[in-house]
Amino acid sequence: MQTFHIHYRNTQGTLMRILNAASRRALDLPLVQAEPAEHDHQVTLALDVNQKQVGQLCREWYGIADVIKVSSGAAHASAWATPHPPVGVPVEESRAAARA
Amino acid sequence: MLKGADIVLQCLRAEGVELVFGYPGGAIMPLYDALEGSGVRHILTRHEQGAVFAAEGYARVTGKVGVAMATSGPGATNLVTGIADAKMDSVPLVCITGQVRSALIGTDAFQETDVFGVTLSLTKWSRLVRTIDEIPDAIDEGFYWARSGRPGQVVIDIPTDLLKAKKEFSGPVKFTPHARPADAKADGGFTDTIVALLQQSAKPVALVGAGAKLSGAIPELRRLLDSLNVPTFATVHGLGAVPPQAPYYLGMVGMHGTRAANMALHETDLLLVFGARLDDRVTGDPTRFAPHATIVHFEIDPAQLDRVRPCDLPVIGNLADTIPAFQAELRRHSLPDFSQWRAVACGAERAELDPRGLAQPTIRFLDELFSRLPQDNVVLADVGQHQMWAAQRYRSSSPRGFITSGGLGAMGFALPAAVGVQLAKPDTCVLCVSGDGGFQMNIQELATVHRLGLPVKMVIIDNKYLGMVRQWQQLFYQRNYAETDLSDNPDFVEIAKAYKIHSFRLNEDAMREFPVSSETGDQIDQFLHSPGPELLVFDCAPEANVFPMVPAGAALSEMLLEEEPTQ
Repeated sequence: MQTFHIHYRNTQGTLMRILNAASRRALDLPLVQAEPAEHDHQVTLALDVNQKQVGQLCREWYGIADVIKVSSGAAHASAWATPHPPVGVPVEESRAAARA
Repeated sequence: MLKGADIVLQCLRAEGVELVFGYPGGAIMPLYDALEGSGVRHILTRHEQGAVFAAEGYARVTGKVGVAMATSGPGATNLVTGIADAKMDSVPLVCITGQVRSALIGTDAFQETDVFGVTLSLTKWSRLVRTIDEIPDAIDEGFYWARSGRPGQVVIDIPTDLLKAKKEFSGPVKFTPHARPADAKADGGFTDTIVALLQQSAKPVALVGAGAKLSGAIPELRRLLDSLNVPTFATVHGLGAVPPQAPYYLGMVGMHGTRAANMALHETDLLLVFGARLDDRVTGDPTRFAPHATIVHFEIDPAQLDRVRPCDLPVIGNLADTIPAFQAELRRHSLPDFSQWRAVACGAERAELDPRGLAQPTIRFLDELFSRLPQDNVVLADVGQHQMWAAQRYRSSSPRGFITSGGLGAMGFALPAAVGVQLAKPDTCVLCVSGDGGFQMNIQELATVHRLGLPVKMVIIDNKYLGMVRQWQQLFYQRNYAETDLSDNPDFVEIAKAYKIHSFRLNEDAMREFPVSSETGDQIDQFLHSPGPELLVFDCAPEANVFPMVPAGAALSEMLLEEEPTQ
C-alpha cells in the first residue's frame, strides 16, 4: 500500500479527476482524506499499486489542470518528476531504471 | 447590459471562433436566439454526434479549436462519443451545452443530465457555470486548456437561466495559468545523451506520431530526419509528417502497418519516438515491442510516458523546442554509417505488401482514386477495413492530409468530420472514405452536405459486412460471422438521390483491368472534380481482408501476410 499526497486548488471537479485517475485503473480506494491545506487543499490517498502504476498515476495527477504538487511515500515515486532525462545519469542507469 | 448568451458569443469571437457546429434544443435556445448578428456562424447538423465530429474535423484540419453546441440531456450525451474521440486523438475541442434552470439542477428535471459528471473522465477541463459573472472566465480558461500542451477537450455547461440573465459586460477576460513549482521538461542534457546513443547504435529507427503535426514542427522534424537518415515510419496520425518519397521512409507501423516498418521496429536497437503515445495498436504485445531497443521518447505530455512500454529516456517538451535542440547538437558530431542497416530495412523485399494483396480490387480502386486526386486534398477515413486500406495506400506529404478516428475508432466519424473539413477548406478536394456500416451511423449528415452544398466526395466501400469484425471472426473465431452480415443494406445510391446528391455505383470488376479502362478512369475523374457533392458506392468482395495484420497480443514480427487462420 502506498500513500500519495496531492495538493490541489479546490476547483470544480479537480478532486473527482484525481480520484478518477485511480478508479479508471480499477484500483480500490481504501483511504481518501481531503482537507484544506494552507491556501489550497490536499487529498491523501492510500492505494495498492505496482511500480508502473506509481509513475503513471503521478504523471496523470500532475497533468490535471488545478493540481499543484504530487508527492508519495513510494520509494520509486520521486523519479517521475525529475528533469528528463536526469542530467548526468548514464543512459545504462536510466535504462535499467526504466526496465526495473 | 448584455444577456449571458450574448456574452458567450462575444467571448467566442474573442477566442477567434468563426464557426460552431450544433443542434438546438430547449435549454440552449437563448444562445441560438442570440446567434444572428453575433459574427459566429452556426452549422446545423442533423444529430449532435454529427456536430461534434464536424467540429473535430474542423479542428483536425486547421489546428484551431473546434466548437460544438448542444442542449441539455440527450443533446449533451450525444456529444460524448465525440469528446472521447477528441481525447484519444489530442484534438482541441470546446463543447458548450445548455443546462436546465439553475433552480432545477439536481431534481431530475426534464432533459436534465449531469453532463459535467458524465464527461469528467473524458475532459481535460470542464465547468458547470453557476453565475452569469463566471461565463467569460469559463470560456477563456476553457479555450486555454483546449489549446495548451497536449490539446484537450473542454465542456462548459451553462444553465438556461444564466443565458437569459443580463449583466454589465466590460469585455472578454484573459486567463493566466497558476505557476507550478515542478513542471518537468527537457533541459539541455538530453541532446548529447541521444547523440551518444546514436553513436553506439547499429540499427536506429525513428517513429513519428501525431505530435509532429500538433507541434507545428514539421519542417524541423523533416530536417532532422534527413540528417539522421535512418529507417523511419509513422503511426496512422503521423501519416503525412514524413514525405512518402523519402528514401528512408517505410510507411505506417503497427497492427496493419507495412512489413518493412514492423520488421525494422522489431529489430532496432535504438528507437527515437517523436510525438506518439505508443498505444497497443502500434506496439502489439508490449513485452515484445522493440525488444532489443533503447527507447528515447519525445513527448509533450508526461502522462503519456510508460503507459504501455517503459521508455529509457523521456524528453518532455514541445517538439518545436526539443527537435531544434537535438538538431543543433547533431551538427557538432558525426554519426556512424547506417547504410547497411538502411539497405536491409528499406530493401525491396520488405518494401511492399504481398503482391496478391496489391492485386486486390479494393486496393487497386483506392490507388486509382488517390492517384487522381487534385494536389490540394484531404482524405478522411471512417473506421474499419477501408480505413486501414486507405492508410496503407494514401501517399501524402501533408501533415493534416489524412484524418481518421484513430484512438477511439469511432464508426460514423468520417462523414460529419468531412463537413467540418470542407467548411474549413472550401477550395480543397475533400474525399471521405467510409464502409457500409460506418456510413449508416451518421448517414443523416447527407442532409447537412446537401443543405450547405458542400462538394464533399464520398466513397462507400460496400462489402455488405462489418468488414473488420468479420475479418477477425474469420481469422480468430472460426468464421462464425455473428451479427456482422449487412447484406440487407439499403440502396445507398437511391438514398443519396433522396438527399439530392449525385451518386453512382462502381463494381470491383472495373478494377480487374490494369490499367483501368478509360471509361472507369473518366468516371473517377468526374467524381473527384465535379463542383458539388458526390457519392460513389464501390462494391467490394465480401471477404476481402486487410493485410499485413498483427493479431491482437502478438509481436509486430508475427504479422500475418495472408489468410492463414491461427486458431
